[in-house]
Amino acid sequence: MRRRLRIPNLGGARAMILHRPHPVVQALSRQLEAIGLEVECHWPDLPGAAIGADYIFFDADLGHDEQFPWEPGTAPMPMVALVGSEAPGRIEWLINIGADAQILKPVGDSGAYSALLIARSAFEARNALAAEIADLKGRLDKRQVVVQAVAVLAARGKSEDEAYAMLRQLAMAWRVSFEIAAERIVAGARPGGAEGAHG
Amino acid sequence: MKRRIDLGLLYSRSGSYSLISEACRTGAMTAIAEINADPALDIAFVPVERDPQGNIDLYAPLCEEILRDSAARHVVGCVTSWSRKEVIPALERCGGSLWYTVPYEGFEASDRVVYTHACPNQHLLPLLAWTFGAYGRRGYLTGSNYIWGWEMSRLAREVMVAAGGEVLGERYLPIGSTEVGRMIEEIEVTRPDFVLNQLIGPSQYAFLAAFRDLGRRDPHFRPETCPILSCNLTECELPAIGPDAAEGLVAAGPWFRGAGGWPHPGSFGSSHEAASHATVWRLARLLHGRAGAEALPLAQLLDSPVNAELGIDPKTHHVSLPVLIAQVRDGAFCVVKREGPLAGDPYLARGRDIAAAPHLRAVK
Repeated sequence: MRRRLRIPNLGGARAMILHRPHPVVQALSRQLEAIGLEVECHWPDLPGAAIGADYIFFDADLGHDEQFPWEPGTAPMPMVALVGSEAPGRIEWLINIGADAQILKPVGDSGAYSALLIARSAFEARNALAAEIADLKGRLDKRQVVVQAVAVLAARGKSEDEAYAMLRQLAMAWRVSFEIAAERIVAGARPGGAEGAHG
Repeated sequence: MKRRIDLGLLYSRSGSYSLISEACRTGAMTAIAEINADPALDIAFVPVERDPQGNIDLYAPLCEEILRDSAARHVVGCVTSWSRKEVIPALERCGGSLWYTVPYEGFEASDRVVYTHACPNQHLLPLLAWTFGAYGRRGYLTGSNYIWGWEMSRLAREVMVAAGGEVLGERYLPIGSTEVGRMIEEIEVTRPDFVLNQLIGPSQYAFLAAFRDLGRRDPHFRPETCPILSCNLTECELPAIGPDAAEGLVAAGPWFRGAGGWPHPGSFGSSHEAASHATVWRLARLLHGRAGAEALPLAQLLDSPVNAELGIDPKTHHVSLPVLIAQVRDGAFCVVKREGPLAGDPYLARGRDIAAAPHLRAVK
């Protein structure tokens, strides 16, 4: 799939760098400030306020899970790993913590801008996929309810195809998903249930 | 007694864009002569010249040669973004700095480069805003096949689409190619409100001549209804374009000959010449009275009270510039709009929205 990159407006965006004081931090800060970001540096841990940052850059060489105020893999913003050692154990850790992009150390005159754009794009794509998967999973879980709802409607003398079409029409009329419409019909058909209740 | 400081010059004296690089070189050499003759300055520049002859693969090695074989730490030169990007690794390796004196497409802020000419918030965005108001929002994009044209077109497309305009076509030619027939055919069929031109050298001259012929066949394609826009066209190329094809061209830039506001008093052949001249003077002011300053990294060189007057942003290494839009009338640029000065904003951190006047056109 070919995507047209939407360039985020980075002016005034907040970046936090999690790295011990080092020329890497100066070189990266210079690049980020030239691009227009506001930069804060922290070590050894990110503060709770990190949750409000737009980007996190973190040291992959000395990093560990407890430095972050969230669970591994659940950062609420794009994260960029600063990679010195390419030892497999370190790469594994940065993947698990949730790096969306990387910059190799030593950091020189470039690398930050592409890392920002790639991390943002990967983060958004990951979130969109996760939301889509959650939605599809929910629908899968409700397959049984859909079958039951079709059966309820078919019991009133309709063919299966007609019952299915009716379920679709009801969902549209009620402006709810197919699965929620099915839930309502099944609930309404139970003893004591209000037939066709919706609201 | 003046300190003698080697100063690298990296300009192509032949090749497809030599008119621009010659203009820049002339400006730099004039400034060097003035500085060397100025008793008020304690420095004199010794030019260390290399000529890449328009060959992209010679820029990095020749830049490295300047930095290796002479004491020069500063190089003035390059007139294409491609060549500038080629020399940055050499600057990093050898500890040198480049002073880049022509307009470019932005999205760069190297610690090794000072960008003394305009980037898109100082040329393309104001030019499009003015054009949207005066001619319309349906445009055709064209350029030479390298980063200047690609990135300028990408940004123009983004701005045009956001403003409710339309990109009617987009086509590139290899540097040096004069096969402009297909572009002209597409423009003739799509009838845009304007053409954004990022062609360079002979490609540009061939295109402008063919477009003039198109305008003779069909009056829509005359400057009154379908102007050609450029962000790097100056007086130095008008002779190569010729008076007929040049008439009505619209360009954005910080200065135009005769428009006043030149960065430094003097008589210049073109805006490019003036820009390089002003750049060498900026460097001279930063070095004057600071023994050994020529060996400082840029960050330290720019960290001086003098720089506050020169206006080189210590974070981005871009400068504040006036924004002029000018049209060629009777063979000379005539300013149609003036604003600014505007600080260079290479990453468009202050946004890319443009405030275009509503386009009013008589109903036909």
